[in-house]
Amino acid sequence: MIVRNTLHRPVRTAITVIAVAVEVTLVIMVVGLTSGLLVDTAKRTEGIGADVMVQPPSASIFMAFSGAPMPMAIGGKLQQLEYVQAVAPVLVQFNSVNGLDLVYGIQPESFRAVSGGFVLHEGRELQDANDILIDDVYARAKKVKLGQKLHILEHDFHVAGIVEHGKGARLFVLMSTLQEMSGAHDKASVFFIKSDRTDHTPAVMDSVRMLLPRYEVRALKDFISLMTSSNLPGLAAFINVMIGIAVAIGFLVIFLSMYTTIIERTREIGVLKSLGASKGYIVEIILSETALLCLAGVAAGIGLSYLTRLILLKVFPSLPILITVKWMFLAGLIAGAGGLLGASYPAWLASRKDPVEALAYE
Amino acid sequence: MDDLSTTAPAPSETPAAAGRVPTIRVENVYKTYDLGEIQVRALRGISLDIYPGEFVAIMGASGSGKSTLMNILGCLDRPTKGRYLLDGKDVSGLTKRELAKIRSQRIGFVFQQFNLLSRTSALENVELPTIYAGVPMQERTRRAKEALDRVGLADRAGHFPSQLSGGQQQRVAIARGLVNNPSLLLADEPTGNLDSRTSVEIMGILQKLNDEHGLTVVIVTHEHDIAQYAKRAIEFRDGRIRNDVLIQNRLIAEEVLPTLPAPDEGLIDALGNGASAPPNGSATQKK
Ligand SMILES: Nc1ncnc2c1ncn2[C@@H]1O[C@H](COP(=O)(O)OP(=O)(O)O)[C@@H](O)[C@H]1O
Ligand SMILES: [Mg+2]
Repeated sequence: MIVRNTLHRPVRTAITVIAVAVEVTLVIMVVGLTSGLLVDTAKRTEGIGADVMVQPPSASIFMAFSGAPMPMAIGGKLQQLEYVQAVAPVLVQFNSVNGLDLVYGIQPESFRAVSGGFVLHEGRELQDANDILIDDVYARAKKVKLGQKLHILEHDFHVAGIVEHGKGARLFVLMSTLQEMSGAHDKASVFFIKSDRTDHTPAVMDSVRMLLPRYEVRALKDFISLMTSSNLPGLAAFINVMIGIAVAIGFLVIFLSMYTTIIERTREIGVLKSLGASKGYIVEIILSETALLCLAGVAAGIGLSYLTRLILLKVFPSLPILITVKWMFLAGLIAGAGGLLGASYPAWLASRKDPVEALAYE
Repeated sequence: MDDLSTTAPAPSETPAAAGRVPTIRVENVYKTYDLGEIQVRALRGISLDIYPGEFVAIMGASGSGKSTLMNILGCLDRPTKGRYLLDGKDVSGLTKRELAKIRSQRIGFVFQQFNLLSRTSALENVELPTIYAGVPMQERTRRAKEALDRVGLADRAGHFPSQLSGGQQQRVAIARGLVNNPSLLLADEPTGNLDSRTSVEIMGILQKLNDEHGLTVVIVTHEHDIAQYAKRAIEFRDGRIRNDVLIQNRLIAEEVLPTLPAPDEGLIDALGNGASAPPNGSATQKK
């Protein structure tokens, strides 16, 4: 009967289900994209092989957002600390042309000392100012060939080599070139430190903190666990706003749909009440119908999320989108709660209709 | 209408009623609708007893307060002043929740517009009140089928209202009114939307329920002919009772029907399977 009631108004039901589906998709995609991006970046940063990273005071762990670079001279001081085997300064830039990618400006020797060096698939290491190394994933996704020109950060680079992915970024250029281009002369965004033995890492971190009290010193070991949106206040706020908008859409559409429904069915509600239906029963009917719409919407939304990811990956193959069961569940829960909240006022209105007046309603 | 005034007094004044608890006792009931500027005095001091097994037709011009009284009798509304006792219990002061419970358990309703739920089969429509009365799931369908059988529509259980004629829809509505075995069936103009033959059929079903099951029936009608199928007629005027009489030479639907053209299939069964079918004849007056 509840199914039949909703199917009786196919257009309204379809619109409501679609709205809930869009709501769910929006939540899943926003969370999937941000967390996918974060986890992806975190994994690659961890893959550098360093033990400690040092960033300027109050820098974001999501390096692309970090501002004020540090003077290169700090690197020399870090190198002199006990247990430090190697220090690699890196200047990070964010390339937003044709996708979202980090560009690392590196010194080949120091970066090799910390990371153990690139695994070259094709070509050679960085030599000339216009050289760029790309990783295999980027090469495949963007269909970039060895030796071709690559326009990045408003500069024409020459693809000198293709390397195995997993060393912090997908794009590497000489640090001096990137410093020149961005006007950050003698500056680095982050120092990666390799300690001589893993169990010396805490000691290294302590001495770095002594040397640079206000700087951000993090162990790369727990980098992935740190790379969550809750450690990125700006991102968390963005996600919350997006979820808020999604919930508002669902709430309003359900509210309007159920409100129209109960006005339309005033007489029916009057009949039910005259036959002895309690307020609770009327509320139950309205909320059951809402729950059905939400359920259909959530199912459609999950399907739509996978479809959206499929399409996005066709267009941006390197885009990491993380659809997790947890967030499918949470998105469903959010949509359901929003929907029931939206239906609660109409349900309450319906339940307190006077049977005599409702029966007289034409 | 004048012929009614010459007949016997109403049963509440007869010795037969003495000592019995009336199903309905209305004591000096007033109902005033407050519309701000104007006050509509729909009922102006109604007193009335209706005993178990009675079949009462309430008559009167449009606006004379018939529906207002029915709403009060059906616990859908409360009097502005006065008392209403249902089966001896004062219900004037009950909460809406308590009234809803009484409606679902003790009173059956039939409306002029049938008021069936359109997207719901005949059987499900009949089942509805059992849900509110808290009847267990398995029991509901059984009871609903039984009630449909009593109005001769057992074979239409799966039909939707749009697939049924007006008369059949009203019979489904009557089955719905019966399903919780109420002691009282209230019908506000049950034949108002039906042609004359179908009206007689409906009256036949109500007569059968009244005769065989002792169900107390109160209907509103403005058709004099229809009132002749009841046992007692009460006439309203301007919110007051003008006349309250027993019907002499009561009409019996089962006897009238064969004289009317184009029977509605199925109904003959509904009336025919009763045990108390009287023989043909003109001496059909029943108390
Ligand atoms: N809900 C209401 N609000 C205001 N006036 C009403 C309402 N219901 C009925 N009335 C008025 O009360 C009077 C009696 O109405 P009603 O009981 O419906 O008469 P009947 O059923 O005999 O035609 C009429 O004057 C009608 O206009
Ligand atoms: Mg009326």
